[in-house]
Amino acid sequence: MEFKKLWRKFARNPLNLISLFLFIFILLIALFPSFFATHDPLEMDVEYFMEGPASNHFFGTDQFGRDIYSRIVFGVQKSIMIASLSILFACFCGTVLGVAAGYFGGAVDLVIMRVVDAMFAFPTLILALFIIALFGASVSNLILAIGIVYIPIFARTVRGSAIALKEQLYVKAAKALGKTSFFIIIKDILPNISSVLIVAFTTNFSTAILSEASLGFLGLGVPPPEPTLGGMVGEGSAFLLSAPWVALFPGLIIAIIVLSINIIGDGLRDTLDPKISK
Amino acid sequence: MKIAYIIGRLLSAIPTMLILTFFVFISLHLVPGDVVDIMLGTQNYLSEEQVQDLYEEYGLDKPLIVQYGVWLKKVVTLDLGTSIRTGDPVSKLISEKFPVTFELAFLSLIFSLAIGIPFGMISAVKRNKIPDYASRVLGLIGLSAPAFWIGAIFIVIISSLFSDYILFGFVPFTKDPLVNIQVMLIPAITLGMMIAAQIMRMSRNSMLDVLSQDYVKVAKAKGLKNRKVIFKHALRNALIPVITTAGIQLGYLIGGTIVIEKMFALPGMGRLLLQAVNQRDYPVVQGIVTFIGVMIVVLNILVDVLYSFIDPRIELK
Amino acid sequence: MSKKLSAFVLVVVLLFSFGFASESDGILKFGINTDAVGFDPNLVTAFASHRVLENVYEGLLQYDQDMNLIPALAESFETPDAYTVVFKIRDGVKFHDGSDLTVEDVLFTFERIMDPDFGSPAASYFKEVESIKSIGDNKIEFKLTVPMVNALLLNFASVNTSIVSRDFVEAGNNMQLKTNGTGPFVLKEYVAGNNITLEKFGDYYVDSIPKLSAVKFLIIPEEVSRVAALRNGDIDLVQIGEAMSLKMLTGKFTIYRQPTLSYYLIGINCDFGPFQDPKVRRALNYAINRENIIKMVAFGEGSVTGVMNPSVKAWALQPSDFSEFTYNPKKAKELLAEAGYPNGFEFEITTSAMYNFEKIAQVVQSQLSMVGIKANINLVEWGIFIKKWKEIDFNSFISLNGGSIEPDKQLYRTFSTTGSTNKFNYSDTKVDELLDEGRSAVDNDERREIYDEIQKILIEDSPVIFLYSPNNLFASQENVEGFAPMSNESLTSLKYTYFE
Repeated sequence: MEFKKLWRKFARNPLNLISLFLFIFILLIALFPSFFATHDPLEMDVEYFMEGPASNHFFGTDQFGRDIYSRIVFGVQKSIMIASLSILFACFCGTVLGVAAGYFGGAVDLVIMRVVDAMFAFPTLILALFIIALFGASVSNLILAIGIVYIPIFARTVRGSAIALKEQLYVKAAKALGKTSFFIIIKDILPNISSVLIVAFTTNFSTAILSEASLGFLGLGVPPPEPTLGGMVGEGSAFLLSAPWVALFPGLIIAIIVLSINIIGDGLRDTLDPKISK
Repeated sequence: MKIAYIIGRLLSAIPTMLILTFFVFISLHLVPGDVVDIMLGTQNYLSEEQVQDLYEEYGLDKPLIVQYGVWLKKVVTLDLGTSIRTGDPVSKLISEKFPVTFELAFLSLIFSLAIGIPFGMISAVKRNKIPDYASRVLGLIGLSAPAFWIGAIFIVIISSLFSDYILFGFVPFTKDPLVNIQVMLIPAITLGMMIAAQIMRMSRNSMLDVLSQDYVKVAKAKGLKNRKVIFKHALRNALIPVITTAGIQLGYLIGGTIVIEKMFALPGMGRLLLQAVNQRDYPVVQGIVTFIGVMIVVLNILVDVLYSFIDPRIELK
Repeated sequence: MSKKLSAFVLVVVLLFSFGFASESDGILKFGINTDAVGFDPNLVTAFASHRVLENVYEGLLQYDQDMNLIPALAESFETPDAYTVVFKIRDGVKFHDGSDLTVEDVLFTFERIMDPDFGSPAASYFKEVESIKSIGDNKIEFKLTVPMVNALLLNFASVNTSIVSRDFVEAGNNMQLKTNGTGPFVLKEYVAGNNITLEKFGDYYVDSIPKLSAVKFLIIPEEVSRVAALRNGDIDLVQIGEAMSLKMLTGKFTIYRQPTLSYYLIGINCDFGPFQDPKVRRALNYAINRENIIKMVAFGEGSVTGVMNPSVKAWALQPSDFSEFTYNPKKAKELLAEAGYPNGFEFEITTSAMYNFEKIAQVVQSQLSMVGIKANINLVEWGIFIKKWKEIDFNSFISLNGGSIEPDKQLYRTFSTTGSTNKFNYSDTKVDELLDEGRSAVDNDERREIYDEIQKILIEDSPVIFLYSPNNLFASQENVEGFAPMSNESLTSLKYTYFE
């Protein structure tokens, strides 16, 4: 089977496999945080405030005596959820816009690409920050804000592929047979851009996690007391000299998550995109 | 020919900028809480009429679309207006803060090119050998670690090992170059880390591509030394896509400076923007958005032109 | 060995102190966070301008270190009745340009302030003034239309009522740029966004004051940069904004802490469901552990405050006199049960990520959960917060209020039914009556009784949960002496500051 062959190709690199297992483990944490946490992430304890790592608090405690390890566990859940939902949102909207622009061309293309250009003319973080600063930080607004800034990336990628596919013989044939555009897009275009989409999804998923973390760092993430990884680094950066653990552990976890996704992304690209395969 | 191309590109950027500034303008005004509310805060002593006078003074009593028109008309004459909060011209605020952001972005671009290109080239030439694996893993880590975390590590390490190093306390370059470089160096490296990684990966791929091209193979077959082939022929061609990447990264750099400016307490434009949004200082927000937008458009054009100089075969269209 | 060591240390210390003394030349470099925005004392409202101007100009009255009103340019004052105050203007006071201070200058200053076209923020202080006139013998008399002279007095110590020179203003000088005061320091140089330099005024009417030859305010907006500058020895004195910066300043620095008059509060919408019952609001008082909030949010740099700031000894009832200020979750639960909420209830705290509000909100949320009350934090952007505050669109809010040493100023606008900052939907006829009485009473004992009663009612009714007053923090090199911040955050002690 096709899938088996691809899997074998992917699994040939041990780094890919390690990262995959690591990522599955992270997903497990995100799905069942209560199982991994040792404390209530919101519970304050003035007796143990700003304590370094110890046996009862693996990663130490923060300004409010909350257990940093348990907050990280729940923070992982938030990060993964927000990043994946926002990229799904961007992927959906971007695909619709990109296919429309690429397949229909003309005025539709012109209008869509002008808007996409306008969004590209602005640094993504600033754009997301702008949206959050104005509409307030909540989980849904974060998903929307990060999602919106990633739409142009997907729209551009998909548009390129759609233009190329439109010229393919089988699409022309389908047109000649009088099939509706909707039918052609669903039947012929979308299945053929799926591998491009999978790669784009993975690479942007990791940057979305970084975007969410950066917004959290700037104080524009999920509002407190809910823990988020970026927010924890932001809070802790004020005590870097007196209590470095508050900021350093959550940052380390972000780096590990993103690293594992990036390696998987590289592996997927090598597997799915024959042009780059070495 | 080239000038016509540049003018064409600039013209085509106009609708883009209009959409961008209009979007920013409308959303900024539609959010609850306006500049007068915020200025008065929770200690309001003014009467209803005095408050109304303030709205008139700032031209905020007119319909939104008229206000946008007024703003646009001024911008066309290169007047970005004045800050409602401080009374300073927006252009003055930008010219004060932009050098900080620019220096930061520029230094980190230099850093990332200086690290990224050589490592990428070595990695490609020594493909599948230890230097290749080492730099690829480093590259992946650079791509994955959030800038603010790397910055945090730098701060912890430097302040505990080198207590004399001046980490904080921005001073303009013109005032004290030594302190300036000292203060800017770590932020620039922090910010440049991710781009260095991207440039490295790009250089590696691009070099590998070039090395597999026929003309390189031919050159090698003709007996040219490996080193000469790499430097004379391959490098130049491999650099082209790297420059594009670097150009695209400038946008990221400008955005990324916000995080770094906060982390290292640098008085740059990102902080100005954040503050202006929070205070609903409309002219300042509009001014910065326009400025960044125009800058990125111009940079992109510059990159394309530079492109055509490096490789005359590329036609500008 | 140890003798040698101590001799060595002594030499080093001497060298150091010598180094400092010769380097400073009596010039105090003072790192501040905000630039001034203008220098007309009767016009500017910016906090940063006031801090500079109170060293350049002076008013008729001033505060001493304990926030008592004492004479300044007025040599003495008396209040014969509730409608009248008479000031005797001090003799031998000179403006910085060398001219003498006269009664004419004082009259001119108040005309200037009360001119509606001029737009002085101090104009509203004197709305109830019927007449101001010179009555001979260097005396000036203020007559009021309402009997509230006690409530008026502190306005004469405001920076905005500083006395300016009539000739200097009428000569057409731009007062926002040029200064000509009677204060201990002269404005010498101003570089916007960089520094403000004040020099000693040789003809100051108090001998051998100021002790410094100059004060150079350096504007350094970033907290870490300011603290780093002190650590590097670049500056002598620094303003600290965040308590945790003190952790970077261990050992050889002097730390100054002064509780401010401003206070953190939970404002309650008394019309919201459970909060309509004062018992529920009082239960919140018992359920909150203020000491823990101060410890976790401010790292101990604050003090519990009541209706009036406890440091205002003349008026304040001390929080320790009330059981409401002692953490008592059991009592809170009892009150909740009495009010019909034995299992608690749910409400929203609206706040913004400013001045540590969001941190206080988190601790409050956690503490309330101990007595079964579920508080949800609605963290909104600052502009939206102000809008909601203005429109009383909240169940409760957490914020920071400015305070005053004068009970009328502190309480009238906040707790009278029509008060401009009464955003609690709080209305109590008894409080309204007492506030009006307190405003017009002249006798201080009588006023004290009235305001004691108001404070008791307010704690009983708890439309506001008073939390704490943050400390105003400064740090200096060890050789700086005589500097003492004040609870109204004023920097007038600079004239007594010197290098050892």
